[in-house]
Amino acid sequence: MLTTAQVVEPLHRVRSDEIVITTMSVVRPWGRISSSRLDFASADSAMGHAADFALGIALARPERTVVCLNGDGSMLMTLGTLVTAASAGATNLVLFVIDNGTYEITGSQVVPGKGVVDYAGMARAAGFPRTFTFDDAAPYEAALADILEGRGPTLVWLRVLPGDEGPISRGADQEVQYLRVSLDQSAIDLREALDVPATEPG
Amino acid sequence: MQIDGGHLLDVLIEGGMTHLIGLPDTISSALVDAVECHEDVRYVPVTREGEAFAVAAGLWVGGAEPVVVIQNTGLLESGDSLRGTAVRMGVPLLCLITYRGYGTMAAVGLEPRSDALERSALVRPDVDTTALLTEPTLRSWEIPTAFVDSREDLPTVIKMWERARLDSRPVVVLLRQRLLPC
Repeated sequence: MLTTAQVVEPLHRVRSDEIVITTMSVVRPWGRISSSRLDFASADSAMGHAADFALGIALARPERTVVCLNGDGSMLMTLGTLVTAASAGATNLVLFVIDNGTYEITGSQVVPGKGVVDYAGMARAAGFPRTFTFDDAAPYEAALADILEGRGPTLVWLRVLPGDEGPISRGADQEVQYLRVSLDQSAIDLREALDVPATEPG
Repeated sequence: MQIDGGHLLDVLIEGGMTHLIGLPDTISSALVDAVECHEDVRYVPVTREGEAFAVAAGLWVGGAEPVVVIQNTGLLESGDSLRGTAVRMGVPLLCLITYRGYGTMAAVGLEPRSDALERSALVRPDVDTTALLTEPTLRSWEIPTAFVDSREDLPTVIKMWERARLDSRPVVVLLRQRLLPC
């Protein structure tokens, strides 16, 4: 199995202008190594909907790759998103399922289907043309450039060891930069990073 | 005069819509049919209504102008998604919500008031409780809401969307009448 660090650190090294959406237990590990304006923490947000949110950005910005670092618990909440993303033909969406078998930030309670659910198989069955499965760091790292460049939607299933990240909140005292602002400000910041004009009334 | 799907689509395009996201029902299907035939607007079907608000939020962050269309049953399903994405992110989102059960509720003389949500009303077999709960739910969330029932009401759609943009928050247009095919 990998560690969360073995997932995020190689991704950070190869990442260029991809938009990266994080959620739950990977929010802080990613935020500790990245402070890109194209990072967005789906934290203090809707449970399980980071992948849907990433899908929306991917559809709006087909010229950019959108990476969503999702967890297994979050994925289980919205499995229909696999069908929606494949149906929408979001070729620029790269959906990571970081499978630690637990709801880590609420105390590592076991998720349903731990060790049984085949997320790559579910994605293929939903219509994802590209899926990857990794238990070890070396093949994952070797495949990353191809993962980011290929035509998706792509699902990357990574079996990782449980960590010890605690609950997530936002505020000026937060350890990582993208949790120091409110969710609506984060949305505005990402729009600015993508050169989206401010919303004009009427 | 009754609204057809094409008339509503024209208004939404005038308002700037780029994507329609949702899950159709008998009231809204003519709009979805019209969008699917249109070259400049994309329809994004979802498997469950809660997805729609998060997809729409992402579309807006990416610079698109999404509109959500779901049934009121789906609104009740979508609570955390609506809260955690469109509301929490300040998305100026126009939500078209079809009003299942309004006719039967009105026919038996019930009104969608919070103080009318007694057990006796909620278990009545001749009333669709989705209708009873829709407006109290929207009021409790303080989501600006308007009815659009006829072609004469269509300017309200644009006014509501303008309000969403002014206030940076979602608004709801309730559709009680089945849209006619184009």
